[in-house]
Amino acid sequence: MAKNNYGAYNIEDLRQLAKKRVPKGVFDYVNGGAEDGIAVQNNRDAYTQLKIKNRVLIDVSKRSTETTIFGKKIAMPYGISPTGTAGLMWFGGEAGLAIAAEKMGVPCTVALNAQTSMEEIREAAPNADLWFQVYTWPDKDLSLKQIERIKSVGFETLIVTVDGPVGSNREYNHKNGFSMPLKYSPRLFAQLLARPGWLVRVLGQHYLKRGAPTMVNYPEELMSKITDPMLKHMFTKVDNVTWEHIHRIRDVFPGNLLIKGLQSKEDAVLAKENGLQGVIMSNHGGRYVDCAPAPLQVVGETREAVGDDFTVIIDSGARRGSDLVKAIACGANMVMSGRPTLFGAAVAGTHGSYRALEIFKVEMDRVMAQLGLNSVDEIGPEIFWNPPEWVRKPKTQLKAAAE
Amino acid sequence: MAKKNNLGAYNIEDLRLMAKKKLPRGIFGFIDGGAEDHIGVQNNRDAYTQLKIKNRVLIDVSKRSTKTTVFGKEIAMPYGISPTGSAGIAWYGGEIGLAQAAKKMNVPCTVALNALTSMEDIWEQGGGNLWFQLYMWADKEMSKKFMDKVKAVGFETLIVTVDGPVHSNREYNKKNGFSMPLKYSPTMIAQLLAKPGWLIRVLGQHYLRQGTPKKENYPPELARKITDKETADKHVKSDTQNWDDIQFIRDMWPGNMMIKGLQSAEDAVLAKERGLDGVVMSNHGGRYVDCAPAPLQVLAETRAAVGDDFSVIIDSGARRGSDLVKAIACGADMVMSGRPTLFGTAAAGMPGAYRALEIFHTEMDRVMAQLGLNSIDEIGPEIFWNPPEWVPKPKPALKAAAE
Repeated sequence: MAKNNYGAYNIEDLRQLAKKRVPKGVFDYVNGGAEDGIAVQNNRDAYTQLKIKNRVLIDVSKRSTETTIFGKKIAMPYGISPTGTAGLMWFGGEAGLAIAAEKMGVPCTVALNAQTSMEEIREAAPNADLWFQVYTWPDKDLSLKQIERIKSVGFETLIVTVDGPVGSNREYNHKNGFSMPLKYSPRLFAQLLARPGWLVRVLGQHYLKRGAPTMVNYPEELMSKITDPMLKHMFTKVDNVTWEHIHRIRDVFPGNLLIKGLQSKEDAVLAKENGLQGVIMSNHGGRYVDCAPAPLQVVGETREAVGDDFTVIIDSGARRGSDLVKAIACGANMVMSGRPTLFGAAVAGTHGSYRALEIFKVEMDRVMAQLGLNSVDEIGPEIFWNPPEWVRKPKTQLKAAAE
Repeated sequence: MAKKNNLGAYNIEDLRLMAKKKLPRGIFGFIDGGAEDHIGVQNNRDAYTQLKIKNRVLIDVSKRSTKTTVFGKEIAMPYGISPTGSAGIAWYGGEIGLAQAAKKMNVPCTVALNALTSMEDIWEQGGGNLWFQLYMWADKEMSKKFMDKVKAVGFETLIVTVDGPVHSNREYNKKNGFSMPLKYSPTMIAQLLAKPGWLIRVLGQHYLRQGTPKKENYPPELARKITDKETADKHVKSDTQNWDDIQFIRDMWPGNMMIKGLQSAEDAVLAKERGLDGVVMSNHGGRYVDCAPAPLQVLAETRAAVGDDFSVIIDSGARRGSDLVKAIACGADMVMSGRPTLFGTAAAGMPGAYRALEIFHTEMDRVMAQLGLNSIDEIGPEIFWNPPEWVPKPKPALKAAAE
């Protein structure tokens, strides 16, 4: 148990607490989605609409939520997605995420956009299963330089996020006066002053100890302060990035390479054909294409297309331990999400992030017991009652139909 | 109906609102709430309310009857009271009131293992068609002694609740400071003081006459005050429980025996194969697996799997007399629920519990007349207009399809 539950008994509680602590523009930036919020809602609905049936009188006293991903045993099929804002939730929040993940025994992805350097994060959580996430640039030299740095820090798993050829449309950011590069407009200033605790604890500490938050994980040529009006990485054209750029990375990165942000099984097949180790089906938490299907909805067809020997992870929307069980039953190897541990970080730094992971773990363990499941391998589509057509069929049923 | 007896409650929801006014918040919440996001609680209602029923006109319904037979005994309507542990904190001696109300109406009432009144007192002062419910204990010798006692008191029908291998996740209890063992925390005391009537009428009377409320039916070797730190919970057969434990009880119990808390047709078949007399399909009123299907939704497939000569009762969600008709039409032998008579008990003790039963009875009688039905045997899926696929097909339709 975390030494304190902060009065948070579920992820939604953490979200509500985070809302109280973080300036409005910053909270909305983390919490919101693209355009009308349709995808954000659909990501949740995809999970909650699935009915699961208990099985009774099965001895579940030796059950376990553990699984293996890329040869490493992890405490549950869950990992922390890359997010650029942990440092705005809590001073040094990125290191807190890594420490929480280390304590729980799940992977944590360090984001390119973090305001704490990858070296510092690695040092803060030496035994954590840390993954790294990058965007890629048309400039070959920049990309290769970046990969060298990632390799030298010791990351074994690399995620290339590929769903952002152009900036996304999150209108509330404009309305809140929250933009990148960060401008201290009167509106934003008023929002910051309304959260004096945050101002002292997070932004104040940052300026005192490190100066203005800076994109410290970018190659020098693109590194700039988030207040720099010529925020360089944002003005670098990326809409001509193609599979060819992924090849460049694949050819120099010896570890596990995944791409993130896919919604089409066709793209997952291409990823496999291009020699990657896996994909992360994601609609970026509903932050890019507002009418994108939920990753949970496409995981069944994706699994069918790529076969069993290819890692398929889904991101976006999981908020309950039962969601992890549902995702595995639909064919995923693991689930990731970004917001739950960010909300936790906003509430109490490392401990808050750990609380989020603990909630997932305790809930997953409970629902496995209720469903009569002893291991992750036992989780299959048999658990569903009357599922929609995008849920894959149980194997026994497929067999029966074939006969 | 004489006005003095209806208590101003014209439906179950009225009783619920009256109970809400009378009970301390934590106690009302404990009775009223469900697991996690209350998806299950809502779905239990929606399953009933989404079903459209068509009237048939110009049929003489002057001799109609809601009577039916369950386990060889005629009862006034296909409804029974589910086991609940909290009648005694809704009203002093509330369990006796439930039994008396059920006797007056002539429907079965289940005495819960967790009752705060002893089974002997309920049997003597309440009487009627009483069933007994238990959770399994790890200690077999103790179980055997206990079963002998239940037999000696005179119970003929036994329900073993099997859906709780682990504790459920009801977060509002934690937020309300309501827990078992009961802790008189400051928030709890504030809630109790806000309802002085309840404090005097229920808790005060209990302390005066019997001391601290106790789980009176637990064997003496188990700690059983509801405020005891070390509760009997740890003796309850929990996540190791399996079909062999059920067999052990089956071999000792000569009467009717059912298991309660099933959602899978497969489990109902196993229950039949183990020589049980019936099953109570239930998601525990939405209090365990939040995304469980409603018992009404799994009823038809269960009936198809076990055949017609096996009792299938459904629990969870019935609040209207029309719901009883719908459940019978979907294949149930009887419907049970716990909350309606608890709300009645909290509102006015025994007359309140009776009022709940009377509402069900009056409403069922009315809707049978409206639908042109004279007896329970006439109720079938023909009553539905455009039902979802989980409703069984009418027999003539099946016949026509076969031809």
